[in-house]
Amino acid sequence: MDFLSLLDISFFLLVAFGALVGIIFGAIPGMTATMAVAVCLPLTYALGLNHGLALLLGLYVGGISGGMVPAVLLNIPGTPSSITTTFDGYPMAQKGEGERALRVCVIASVIGGLVSAAILFLFAPLLADFSIKFSYVEKFLIILLALSVIASLSSNMLIGIFSGVLGIWLSLIGDYSTTDGGNGKTRLMFDFMEPYLFEGFSLLPVLIGIFGISTILLEAEKGVRSELSSSRMVIGKAAGVLSLFKGRLTNLVRSSFIGTFVGMLPGVGGSAASVLAYTQEKNLARDSSQMGKGAPQGLIASESANNALTGGALIPLLSLGIPGDSTTAVLIGAFTLQGIQVGPLFIPENADTWYVMIVALVFANFVMFFLMFFAIKHIAKVVMVPKHILYPIIVMMCVVGAYAINYGIMFDVWTLLIFGVFGWLIQKIGLEVAPLIIGFILGSQAEVYFVKSLESAGTLSTFFTKSPIAVVLWLLILASVVFSVVMSLKSRAKGRQEVLS
Amino acid sequence: MTISKKTLATVGSAVVLASMTLGTGAAMAQAGELRGNIRVVIGSTSTGADTYQNSSIVTDALAEKLDLNMKVDAVGASSAFRTLDRDSRGNTLMIFHDYAYLGYLYGVEGFSDIFEKYTIGPTVSINPGNAYLVPKDSPYETLDDIIAAVGDGETVRVAIQPGGVSEIGFSALKNAIAIEHPGQEDNLVAVNTGSQSDKNQQLFDDQVDVINGSVQANEQYTRLPEDDQKAMRFVWLTASQDTIEQAPEEGLGQTSREQLLEYVEPNANVTMGDDENFTFDKEFFFIYNKDMDPGIVEQIDEALAEIYEEGEIQETLKASFFTPNFRPSGEASEHLQEKMARYQEIIDNIK
Repeated sequence: MDFLSLLDISFFLLVAFGALVGIIFGAIPGMTATMAVAVCLPLTYALGLNHGLALLLGLYVGGISGGMVPAVLLNIPGTPSSITTTFDGYPMAQKGEGERALRVCVIASVIGGLVSAAILFLFAPLLADFSIKFSYVEKFLIILLALSVIASLSSNMLIGIFSGVLGIWLSLIGDYSTTDGGNGKTRLMFDFMEPYLFEGFSLLPVLIGIFGISTILLEAEKGVRSELSSSRMVIGKAAGVLSLFKGRLTNLVRSSFIGTFVGMLPGVGGSAASVLAYTQEKNLARDSSQMGKGAPQGLIASESANNALTGGALIPLLSLGIPGDSTTAVLIGAFTLQGIQVGPLFIPENADTWYVMIVALVFANFVMFFLMFFAIKHIAKVVMVPKHILYPIIVMMCVVGAYAINYGIMFDVWTLLIFGVFGWLIQKIGLEVAPLIIGFILGSQAEVYFVKSLESAGTLSTFFTKSPIAVVLWLLILASVVFSVVMSLKSRAKGRQEVLS
Repeated sequence: MTISKKTLATVGSAVVLASMTLGTGAAMAQAGELRGNIRVVIGSTSTGADTYQNSSIVTDALAEKLDLNMKVDAVGASSAFRTLDRDSRGNTLMIFHDYAYLGYLYGVEGFSDIFEKYTIGPTVSINPGNAYLVPKDSPYETLDDIIAAVGDGETVRVAIQPGGVSEIGFSALKNAIAIEHPGQEDNLVAVNTGSQSDKNQQLFDDQVDVINGSVQANEQYTRLPEDDQKAMRFVWLTASQDTIEQAPEEGLGQTSREQLLEYVEPNANVTMGDDENFTFDKEFFFIYNKDMDPGIVEQIDEALAEIYEEGEIQETLKASFFTPNFRPSGEASEHLQEKMARYQEIIDNIK
């Protein structure tokens, strides 16, 4: 138990400070947990490995959790993994249940985070061995599974699929790198666009634009003056939050497991975790009719999954030396800067650091919980700020965030604006935002893994015959598609009945 | 006394003009020197890899020496070049390695001739760890086994990241096979992958026979028991014997320098013809905007020369398994151009 001597008061203070700063980063649109960790990475030189990790893990947990605040209150996902939080969070905030929604998110987050920390502690090496069974084919099928739910997220299946395909198409703009199996040339653009779009559209400006700016444009259309005098948002009561979890234990545990599982697969990404958890709840829950209209079960699925990602993404990092997501890809720098190798023998050879990390992760989750649970009352008051003051501030924050995300690229600000107007337009012409954005996030990864699978095996049959895992994934995809079709037919029949009666 | 708006405007304008003149004077006085916040962009997006680690060590030492605020940003190759293109003031510098010119030789999109387009700064260190590995239960015990097998018509698949440091070793191997077993070189097949994790995964899946990796990233895998699906074995380090001999005696992890020397020439030979063997030292160096003040080039050269003379940085670099290798700008540019010409030959031979 030598590691106990490493846990002094400054260690815990650093975790707490990290969690607080992380929450702030996560809550500002355009600032992410990855950015917070990257900014503070050089500090690990001065702090030493264990104290440095304390700060970075606090930032990681806080950063992922902070994303829920703008997602619920402003319809802007603070981080890409909180997209699905907007689906039910914002409708709840509009109904005056913002504080309630945030409390549900915080509880789900802490449970997701703790479940994944426990899984990390107990099964890391075992799960790392399992994760390497997922090669290009299996990763492609997981992404396909996440994409297959596009239809079930839409009010009209065909429009949903069309929007999803449009999102995938947008994600493919830019350089098709040779490392991704491409020819190294740019595509889907004119030559003069190359200096701007060589690497395609950046994810966060697209997200903030399509959610945040378009929401503001829609609100602006209504006119600020009347809004102020009549229906300023109310906060409402947040009592009885725990009762919302009644009967939702399966959802909570399932989503936490999905988050951990997706986190441990390098290259699949955090957004896929919350999308998968959300849609599995939609497919498997007894009553999912309210999801997307302000149902707490959607928040539970989304937030427990994206926080469970933290422990999951640390599994391949600490057991294989391979980061599970973009934040752990930066976190690995803390080890390299100290000259410490991270690989399959890291845990047995650095037992003290391993225990220190687990303590920091668990403590960071508790700090995040207490900081947010008790601050929510005040945070939720954001919606009370008159919109003519609030919206210009949001736009300014969005612009700063977009400009900062790739360290000062002005085109990212234009991307924000383009997609803000585009987001407003597509809602006007009746397209669906959620499938479009999911298509955009997962599209390029799906392509990479699809092409790489073919490159490796040379035949299409590999997708069906590669492994038993592939077969199971196909069955899940099939079930998901069938469910979507059945639900669509049911709702159409219900609509017809209503018209007849 | 009343002060008219006109007087106020005149005095105000005079103050602004005076401060602008003074400001310019101050700026002019400092021309030819680094000033303000300096951003060091690197050609890798990873903060866990050697470019970031090496750049951080060098940048920190330089910042301390010059008493400046300097920060390393892992933005990736094409972003780094574009950022550098935009800033001729000297507030953006770049650190990268041989990929900077190899990318051009291999015709990678977004790469141009760095010797024409930019000013080459000093070299700072070498990562001697560029390696090729096979699964621990592979039938190929040595690099010679691989060359012989390909020469006998066996297909050997090698996972590389196309267009850079990872590919040059593959090209050299292919060239060696073309020399030793003419007509058989196409049996050595490159499998294009991306990150190190992708390459490892290809090996775990039996989709490739050999992978490009590094001592730093793969050493722990070489210590796993043979029955572990993840276990690997080094067969070749591209660094020269001289470079490895400069590494700390204890090597890296639990692999000593003595053990690493088994995987370099003369124990692992890749011929280039004419009794010359291929070696490749992955070198890190500064790249500057062409229009940057030559005074800054000189200032960095001098500061680094002093830092290397003091000797502390060598210890830090060696502790992280880098070989210190300072050459001032002019010398570095000449050296790297020679290196490029040498590798150009190999690439032309196997076209």
